[in-house]
Formats: sequence, structure tokens, C-alpha cells
Amino acid sequence: MLVEYPKPRWTEKFLLLDMFEGLKTTFREIFKPKVTIRYPEERLEPADRFRGMFRFSFDRCIACKLCAVACPIDIIYIDVHDEQREVDGKMKKLKVLDRYDIDVKRCMFCALCEEACPTKPKSIWLTTKTYELASYDRNDLYFNMQELEYWEDRPKYTGLPEEETPKQLRGDVE
Amino acid sequence: MINPWMRYLVWPLVKFLVAFVIVQVIVAAMNYIERRLLGFMQARLGPNRVGPKGLFQIIADPIKFLLKEDIVPTSAETVAYFLGPMLPLIPAFIVFCLIPYGPPPTFVPTDTNIALLLIVALTSTGVYGIILGGWASNNKYSLMGGLRSAAQMVSYEVPFGLSIVGVLMLSGSFSLVKIIKYQEMHVWNLFPQLIAAFIFLVAMNAENNRTPFDLPEAESELVAGYHTEYSAMKFAFFMLAEYSSMTVNCCLMVSLFFGGWSLSLFGWGITTEGLSHLGVWGGLIGAAIFITKVMIFMLIYIWFRGTFPRFRFDQLMDLGWKWMIPLALVNIFVTGIVVLAMKDLKFNGEILLSIIGAATIAFTLFLLFRGARPAPAKVAHAR
Amino acid sequence: MFDVHEMEVNFGPQHPSTHGVLRVLLKIDGERIIEAKPIIGYLHRGTEKLFENMAYPQCIPHTDRMDYVASATNNLGFVEAVEKLMGVTKQIPKRAQLMRVILSELQRISSHLLWLATHAIDIGAMTPFFYCFREREQILDLFEQYCGARLTLNCMRIGGMPDDMPPNWLDNIEEFIGKFDAAVDEYEALLTNNRIWKRRTVGIGVLTPEDAIEWGVTGPPLRGSGVEWDLRRAQPYECYPELDFEIPIGKNGDTYDRYLVRMAEMRQSKRILEQCIPLIKQTPAGDIKAKISRVIRPPEGEVYHSIESPKGELGYHIISDGKTQNAYRCRVRPPSFVNLQALPAMAQGHLVSDLVALIGTIDIVLGEVDR
Repeated sequence: MLVEYPKPRWTEKFLLLDMFEGLKTTFREIFKPKVTIRYPEERLEPADRFRGMFRFSFDRCIACKLCAVACPIDIIYIDVHDEQREVDGKMKKLKVLDRYDIDVKRCMFCALCEEACPTKPKSIWLTTKTYELASYDRNDLYFNMQELEYWEDRPKYTGLPEEETPKQLRGDVE
Repeated sequence: MINPWMRYLVWPLVKFLVAFVIVQVIVAAMNYIERRLLGFMQARLGPNRVGPKGLFQIIADPIKFLLKEDIVPTSAETVAYFLGPMLPLIPAFIVFCLIPYGPPPTFVPTDTNIALLLIVALTSTGVYGIILGGWASNNKYSLMGGLRSAAQMVSYEVPFGLSIVGVLMLSGSFSLVKIIKYQEMHVWNLFPQLIAAFIFLVAMNAENNRTPFDLPEAESELVAGYHTEYSAMKFAFFMLAEYSSMTVNCCLMVSLFFGGWSLSLFGWGITTEGLSHLGVWGGLIGAAIFITKVMIFMLIYIWFRGTFPRFRFDQLMDLGWKWMIPLALVNIFVTGIVVLAMKDLKFNGEILLSIIGAATIAFTLFLLFRGARPAPAKVAHAR
Repeated sequence: MFDVHEMEVNFGPQHPSTHGVLRVLLKIDGERIIEAKPIIGYLHRGTEKLFENMAYPQCIPHTDRMDYVASATNNLGFVEAVEKLMGVTKQIPKRAQLMRVILSELQRISSHLLWLATHAIDIGAMTPFFYCFREREQILDLFEQYCGARLTLNCMRIGGMPDDMPPNWLDNIEEFIGKFDAAVDEYEALLTNNRIWKRRTVGIGVLTPEDAIEWGVTGPPLRGSGVEWDLRRAQPYECYPELDFEIPIGKNGDTYDRYLVRMAEMRQSKRILEQCIPLIKQTPAGDIKAKISRVIRPPEGEVYHSIESPKGELGYHIISDGKTQNAYRCRVRPPSFVNLQALPAMAQGHLVSDLVALIGTIDIVLGEVDR
């Protein structure tokens, strides 16, 4: 299917109508409303599934290390040791999480770790709508377990509940 | 009687200084207006953070230029390097005392009878600064940019001058005041001299290195052309010279083709006589009309910049030599015949030309606003 | 070696209009180009070597970053190649296929909008740049609603899709489609008929059909020269056989024809989107992944699979040794790399100002050329 070549008529070529069409288009644009968002006074709220900064929940994590295996660049550092603990009168062998560090300065926010996490609701999630992570020192971007969980000094833009990532966000099928 | 010193030296100097200050304010504001209007045309806001709606940008930019570090390349040719930015400014400033800003006694600094010739001659000397600036930077690409710009400016001087000849023939004098008075009594020179007005507009754009002829300054080709190696105030001088000569050319366009400070048709409307009856207020009204028209043309410069792609250099020279000059010559030829017919055969050919000009403009507007033609049902653009 | 008039100039890696870090070594005579030699490698990141050390699902975010302008099609090519190697192409559910097509076509529109923006601003027209980016923002918002990222999407998985569609996504796509035609009309009003644009692009960089096929050029440059070859029709994948669209081809093979071909392709992509939306509403919700094991371990063998990315034929040649979870070798056939080889032939005899237009019209992305 051949593309359509414009065939201007003689009068249009002589009277420079193509130039005037362009001028008309730009002139009309002056009066249309502009889509600029004036950051930092106005802020664009990201979508619900936006892959922002991590948040980790120590209580939900079962120390399975699936997130560390799934990461393409191996930036999740996990240390686990086994412990014998008394639960309901019996000695059970539990895994205790020693170290859960993420080197955020190398992270590409691909969310493969979130996808690999088997707990419901997930123990590591990225749908926090936070993207203002800039800092003046590179070492500030190596987050250990406590910093990943501590969310008090971060802006609370999201309306998402902190305790649970709602199921309808991810379209999970039961 | 007025002291001759007052009449011929002090009073014109005062008028020139007032006009100069106002024009420089306009030039400084043009920087801001250009960025803001260009932004609006491009679906974005221009500078809008510095003051209310960004108006303090007009003050912030000169402060930045004054306080910036002045880097001089060590291998630059010193005298020429320092002289380069100053040379385009001199003719750009002198010309401001030759332009009529309003009705004659008060608002015209000088009323020589060769004003137009002087203006064209002075603006031609603006090329030197560009060549010197480009050469003295000791940079291969600046040199190329400077030479290209010089070639462009020199070759568009010819249509610039030739398109004015038709106007001169009709009004019979080089003095701008007389040309404007002629347009008051008859119709604006736009209509009988439509082709000349178009050629003058194109030549004006090319003289000032503005899009679509801004190849010497284009970023994507030669970084920044002849003013690559200049920083801070020297760069500001080049910019100032460019905007000043843009203003001068707009003033010329308005005076020659659009009736200057008057809004009249065949002597009916706001004329010099009518304004002189109102005294000072008449003069101010005339000056206000003149400045409004000049600003409209400056906005047209910005409009062109936001719309058109740029010409390649050889296409630019083609356009100048092969199209503009023959058209200008044809215009002179036709106008000459008309003027002779008016004198000898008592046939008012000028009205005929005006009617043709007005009809062309009306036809163009009609075709433009007619609305879309029904699109042919080709599958390429299947909705 | 050099004639007395010739000069050798570096159209350097740092230049506002070489779309990335491309260096072109020019031998010019005044302003005519006698020889143009592109020199690449300034953005090489060793992607193919990285692929050898990562499991297949972990490679997908890395494929995003090759052609960073059109990442959904990069993902699609890789995912389809692995599925072909595993033999599960027929088991991908219909809903997943339609979602993949919707994402690919949105990505095609987005990539062509970026091409138009940069091409126009190289030639000097500043306004189409901003208009195109305004439309592109809307597409990137659509991507963000689906997978959470705007540019490096990571939006496909081996065997299907990661998530089902968010609640109002289809309505938002319909809203975008409704406004898109008027936007393309606006760009065409500014450029297509404009005599300055035509002077800069008609007759520049003519590539005859025979030359195009010999150089291995694919995509819009090939179609602009008149060869009717589009992988969506010639070697169909996903659910393209059921969709109705045209393949625009040009006549002369110059820059203007390639421009017209890409503008028509944008409209045809919109047409495909219009057809996909009612089709996807008929598929059952939630049916987005084929039943394959979570651990991807393809059998031993090799496969070459190519798709039609916005820039041309994007191919993946994967060799697996059946024992590990990594590929033994994954070679990418980037369309921009092969199309760039035609630049010296096209640039012969033109001026330096035309070189900028030519680099823009081949539509290269250095991330893909250098990987």
C-alpha cells in the first residue's frame, strides 16, 4: 500500500499556503492550556503500580532468600541462621534473619524481587509511590534492614495502607 | 527663533537618547518575550519562576551576563577579538536616530531627505563584526560559521535594497517621513507592493540570521557558529546587536509598508494633520500606534522561529540569488510602468495594483480558513 | 591519500544531534562528503556476556536497556525466542497475546513519536519536538498504569504476562486513541506539505531497493524504498494474523518517503489498537500465563526468532545447553546496527548538513547498536 504523497494545487504553491498552515497551527497552540506541572509546588502522583522505593516488613519475611536469587544484579544481601525456638510447647527449627541489606544505588527497580516473594501479602514491595531518593552521599544509599522498614521520615504520599498491599492491585487470581 | 545649537544638536540628541533608552528596554524585554512566547507556541511555559510570571527574568539575565566569568581563549587574536562584538553594535545604535517614531515635529529625531539611504548603508556595515568575531576566535568552526553568516548577510542585502525601490518610485522621496505621509494620503504600501513587502520580510529574516535562515547559529551543525568562543558580556553584545537590528528592521518595515504612525485610508482616519490638532496627545497616540505595529512584527519574527525548519546553506543562497532578486527586479519593472502610466496616460495604475494586492491577500485568507478538503479515501490514512 | 582539497573532520561522539554517542569520521571536500565512516562502541556494556551469567527471567530487564526507546518490543522478542525454544508458543493464552500486541503497538507509536521529535529538531523545526513529547507522555502514563515503569518496562514474562490489566486501563487507551488522530494531523500540518521541509528531505539519502536488500536494511528504511516486507505479515507472531492493517511503503527511497512511511505506520498502529480492545474484552479475566514450570530450563538446542520492532527486524539467537538455567549464548541482531551500515552509501555526495538528516532518518539508538 503506497503512502499518500501530498499534491498541492498550483494556487496553493504560489500563495505559500503550506507555510501559512504551519503558522496557523502554532498560533492556535498559544491559546491551548498547557500540561506543565510545576514541581515542587505541584507534584504528579504516580500510578498505583508504580515501582518506587522498597519497603520491607521483618514480621512477614520468612527468610527464604528467593528475592536474592531472583535479583538480576545481586544487590540483596541476606544472612540467615537457624535457631531452635520454643513454639507451642515444641522445639521448632526456625530461620532468623540476621542481615537484609539492599544496595539501592545499583538497583534498577525491576521488581523481580517483589514478584519472587512467596508470602501473601509480600514482605518486600515497591508500590510505595516514592521516587525522591536523591542524596548527597553515595553511602546513604546502602539500606540495611532497619532503614528499609523505617518509613517515618519519608513523605507519605500514598493512600495505600501500610500493612497490606491490596490484592486488586496486582490482579492476582485466587 | 530657536538657537541653532538647540535645534540641530541638543534637541535631536535628547530625542535620540529617549528613543534609544526605550528601544533598549524593548530589546531587553524581547529576550524574555521571545522565550515566553516560543514556549507558549511549543506547548510549554517559558520562564515563569523568577518573578510574577517570570518578569524578573529581564533583570536577572543582564545581571548574569555582567557577573559571569569572562573567558578569553589564549590563542585568540586580541584586538580583533575585543573589537568583534562592538562593531555590529555601532551601526545598530546609530540607525535609531534616523527612524520616525511618531508625527513630525516632536517624535522624529532627524528628518533628513536621504534617511532611507543612510539606514540601508549603515545596516550593511554590520557584517564586519561577524567576520572579525568568527576569525579572531581561532576556531575552525567559528570561522566557518562567521564566513557563512557574512555571505548570507551580504547576499541578502541586494533584495533588501531592491525591494525598497518600488516604494521609492511610488512615493518619490528617500525621506521616511514623506513616505509615511504618502501612505496616509493613499493606501498602505503593502497593497500595491505586495511582492516587495514579501521580499523585504524574507530579506529581513535573512539579514538578522533568524529562522528559517539561522544556519550559522544552528546548534546541530556548528555548535554556536561565530559566537561560540565568546562568553559573558561579549556574547551579550552580539545578542544585543542582533535584537537591535531586528528592531530597526521592523521599524523600517512598518514605516515603508504599513503606514508608520498613521491609520488612514486615502486621507481618512488618523493622519498627521489630525494628530497635530491634538497637540502632545496626538504625538503620543501616533507613537503608540507605531510601537504597537513594531511589536507585532517582532512577534512575527518569533512566530517564524517557532514554526519553520531551517534552510540548508546552499538552498539559502539559491533562494536569495535565484528567486528574490529576479522577483524584486520584476517588481521594479512593473512599478515603473505603472508610475509612467500614471504620469503620462493619467491612468491610475496604483489603484489597480492595490486592488490586485488586496484581492491576493483576501484569496489567501479564504483558502486558509476554508476548512479541510474532504480527504481522499486512500488506505494509508485509514482512520 | 588525501587530495589537496580534502579535509578529515570528526563528527564527534559529543554532538547535539548524533542521537547518542556515535562518531562519524568524515572526509569532506569543502562541504561535500566524500566518505563517511561511522565508528561505534562508545556505549558497549557487554549485554550479551551478561546474558550468559543470568537465568532467563533475569535477562528480561536487561533487554529493556538495549533499545531504551522501545523496550516492550525488546522484551517481546526475547520472551518469544525462549518460548519458541521451549516449544510452548501455542500454549500462550489469548488474553496474554492480545496484551502483548497492545503493548507492542503502543510502544511502536511512542518510538515513532520520539523519532519524529528528534528528526524535526535536527532539521530545525523546534515545535514538533514538544508536541510529540506531549503525546508520548500520555503513552508513558499508560505504561506506568500497567507495569509501574515508564521507560524500562520489564512488562513480559516467559509464558505470559506478569499481571492482569489494571481496572480502567482499556478506557484510558480508548481515550488516548480518540485524541491521537488529531495530534498526527497537527504534526502533518506543520511538516508534510511544508516546502522547506521538502527541500531538506526530498532526494536526500536515496536507497534503491536492491541496495537496501543487499545491505540488510529492515524496517521503515526498507519499506521506504519500496520493498513490501514486514515481519508482522511475512512471519506472523502473536495474534497478528487476525488483525487487519496495512503496510505502508514508499516509492523513491529518500528521507521524505521514510518520513511518510513512519507517519502512516503510526496511524496503522492506532488501527490495530482499535481492533484489539474489543477482542481482549471477550477473553476471560486472569488467564495470563501458560502452564509452565517456574524454573525455566529449556531443552538443548538453538533458536533464532525475530520480530518487527519499530526500528526494523530485531532478532534473538539463543543457544541453550539444556543443563543450566542460563543461556549458553544469546546473540541479539539489533536493527539499528545493520541499518547504520547503509549510512556511508546514503551519505555519498551530500552536504554535511544532510548528514544530520540522514542519521535521523535511519533512526538509530546507540544502546542497540553497541549493546
